[in-house]
Amino acid sequence: MASDRPGADSLADVLDRILDKGVVIDIWARISVVGIEILTIEARVVVASVDTFLHYAAEISKIEEVTEEGSLEDLENLEIRRTPATQAQYPEAT
Amino acid sequence: MSSNRYTYGVIEQAPLDIDVTGVDGAPIDTVDYRSLSAVVSEIGTIEPERTDENAAAHDEVLRAVLQSDGGRTIIPMRFGMVFKTENALKNVLRNGRVAFRRSLNDLDGMVELGVKLVAKEGSTVDRRAVVEDVATRLRAVADTEAGNDLYSDRLVFNRAYLVDRADQPAFEETVAAIRDAYDDSLLVQYNGPWAPYNFVDIEIGAEGR
Repeated sequence: MASDRPGADSLADVLDRILDKGVVIDIWARISVVGIEILTIEARVVVASVDTFLHYAAEISKIEEVTEEGSLEDLENLEIRRTPATQAQYPEAT
Repeated sequence: MSSNRYTYGVIEQAPLDIDVTGVDGAPIDTVDYRSLSAVVSEIGTIEPERTDENAAAHDEVLRAVLQSDGGRTIIPMRFGMVFKTENALKNVLRNGRVAFRRSLNDLDGMVELGVKLVAKEGSTVDRRAVVEDVATRLRAVADTEAGNDLYSDRLVFNRAYLVDRADQPAFEETVAAIRDAYDDSLLVQYNGPWAPYNFVDIEIGAEGR
């Protein structure tokens, strides 16, 4: 069966990714000299058994509900939001 | 010598052997925190210019890591993430370790592949039907998908797929079949493998700023 090889990536494809996506770290967290800044982490891992956008959206709204209730059950760490980061992992509504 | 570290991404800690230079031609190094390593290079500024050269260098480092050692997983940083010191970087690795670990585990063995469909001149294809057909075919050989902007009128389809490396040949057969099916009306642009840019969403901030 015929198969396709990836074409040369255009600069537009590169820029589309590296300027708009990827992990973002606030300038204050990057220049902190003493290293004792309290950091906030917002993470959403957009993978694993999520095969459609609808399903994904449903998951996210479920997570938001759970987060508001402050319960870790059903959360499965899909979204991790903790403030301050030095405390135990415990989601807080903000 | 500068203490600044330009950071490309986060990997599982293990010796990294890649043969590329980074932004500003600097050699690649790692900064380790427990089971994590950040892939870095020294840089003289905290705000690197967004030149085409620098953008390409950032991308080439990620690509080299992806291809190294039989295929490694990297959590990609956005362009321009420079840390003032290694300690500031370690502080971020430590505080973000749960998010980084989870991402590395979930994305293990996966690559991102991109598919775009561009309408040929004068094409009168039924866009909705095409999108539905193509999306269905690609989903069957991918783990997850992410949609991106249709930034041009002629762009019919623009999505990224998270694909297990073992499934990449099947994905490529599907792309070829799509190309054959729509050859008279659409151009198929297939690109990658990329670091999983469309499948990580991590933001780290400093409290109270």
